[in-house]
Amino acid sequence: MTAPVVAVWLGNAAPVRSIRWLDGVLKAAAKFPGATAVAAGEQDWLDLAADRAARLGLASVGVPTDLQLDYLGWAQVMAAVARQLGATTVLVDEASRPERFAEVAAIAELTDAAQLTRVIALAPDAAIIHASRAAGTTLQTVRVHGPAVIGVRIAGPPIEEYPTPAPSASMRRIELATLGLDPVVLGHRALPPRITPPARRTVERVADHIALHIAPRTARKAGKPGKRAKDAKDAKDTKDAPDPEDED
Amino acid sequence: MAAVLVHIDLDDERPHPSSLQALAAGRTIASSWGATLYAALIAQAPARSPGPWSGAAMQRMPGNRKTIEAIRITLVRGGADKIVVALIDGPVVPLWSALGTAWQGVLDHLRPRLVLFGADAPSAIELGPRTGARIGARLVLRARPMQPSNASGTAGTADLELRDRDGSYIRMTDGGAAVCLIGAAPGPGAGAGPGPRSRPRIDVPDVPGAHGDDDIDVMMLELPGGGDPRIELAGTAPAELAHLTGTMIAIGDAAAGDPEIVQATARLAKALGAHVVGSAAAAATGVVGTGAIVERGAALTPELCIAIGAPSIDVAGSASLIRIGTAGGKGVDGALTGSVAENLVELAHALEAR
Repeated sequence: MTAPVVAVWLGNAAPVRSIRWLDGVLKAAAKFPGATAVAAGEQDWLDLAADRAARLGLASVGVPTDLQLDYLGWAQVMAAVARQLGATTVLVDEASRPERFAEVAAIAELTDAAQLTRVIALAPDAAIIHASRAAGTTLQTVRVHGPAVIGVRIAGPPIEEYPTPAPSASMRRIELATLGLDPVVLGHRALPPRITPPARRTVERVADHIALHIAPRTARKAGKPGKRAKDAKDAKDTKDAPDPEDED
Repeated sequence: MAAVLVHIDLDDERPHPSSLQALAAGRTIASSWGATLYAALIAQAPARSPGPWSGAAMQRMPGNRKTIEAIRITLVRGGADKIVVALIDGPVVPLWSALGTAWQGVLDHLRPRLVLFGADAPSAIELGPRTGARIGARLVLRARPMQPSNASGTAGTADLELRDRDGSYIRMTDGGAAVCLIGAAPGPGAGAGPGPRSRPRIDVPDVPGAHGDDDIDVMMLELPGGGDPRIELAGTAPAELAHLTGTMIAIGDAAAGDPEIVQATARLAKALGAHVVGSAAAAATGVVGTGAIVERGAALTPELCIAIGAPSIDVAGSASLIRIGTAGGKGVDGALTGSVAENLVELAHALEAR
């Protein structure tokens, strides 16, 4: 078995808050000789991605496009680039943008590779990759053999300010058509344009937002079903009951 | 009739609370859409050999009939119309490489219109997006069932929809399949008002042992074939707090010095089921427990981080970030300025009331 050929998917837009995670995944990729950083999207982002990759000695590929795609759309782009590069292993920066983690599975599906999410440490060992993965309250130690897509959450060093990147000459541009992708077809995975909502400023709105994160708890009450279970049963009974209007 | 499928993770010998939350959401959606609700779990066949993953922490199908019946009754009372158990040779490890083949068998068998996972269930992160990719589905993360509003902004009478925090939604009238990670169970008002009224507390009944009071069959699918050998689980160990991905409250040193804020923080943490993290200086006040001290500049990646004051921890990797006591900033989902203690108390109160 030969050493993996690695590509790093940096995504379609700049990190939401910090480039620390971007630097982290690039640094992890730099452990693999010949790794290539890949980004897609608009020019400013491609320049930033190329700049950060170049600082760590990585080659970079950019796919210029103004499409706004869902997880499967971007996965198609990255899978096509991986095939073009002959990459067997794809690292994905999971932490810079919350929507990116879903692309790990989608790229793996499209490249028929194994998948591993939430990896916090990586070490190449000839044809094998050793990885540590956060899984709930446990840390899994995993050995990866063969083609795989790995979602990475490794932080780079703290960074407050970074220079505005100049347009990169070193980044290799690949058009969608060169990848065999038709923008019109790809557009079927387009997301509707969305305005970034302003930060919530009232207790009620913040509570609404974080209510989706309340850890579910189990309350064991002896003897009878809990309220939630009864609610569910009532809902089911309502569905199963004949519609009064049908009785006529 | 369309199928709504809920993946059930097991937590020891019981369905995981987050999976039950998804089941409750699935029940309301299936009733609204006129669909059949399936609850499916993957378990290791008791009599089979552990296979090549013997070193891994395994989860067996609970062997005795009483436990199996308890799970069945829990799912029935959670609203399942039908229960599917996929039996596999290897141990149940929350990785696609271990469960993917069996889960694909369930999907092939049921061909669901909508697949739900509990957002905090152990397998959701690995199985959810891959399920979506495999069936070409839309994917919505951390959503809840809601009654859609009509043009005037009041509650409409249409079928329920699933809506996430960013406004993405799944409706009955949508074409194609969808996969959704459920972040909150429907409350009593899920069908009655425009706003979420969720209190995701799952009351699991104690089952004395005999038989359930609902006649729901369990469909057993024998799905031979091991996991993907390309991913080899070599071992597991307890994770450090810094590597957890749930909800965290990061408290700054100055805020931790105020007893009122400390008390309110503890109350909010309890309401959310969150960990409180901070520096060694913050720990001296007692709000940060042993093992929850995170070194200055350390970077966390929780699903949700509530930053109180100015924590010395790097919370930029959070999927969602709320700031209390400081103005917003880039990529902040919410910010409450003014009295920190008062905001925390009000927030805890609002969450406790759900």
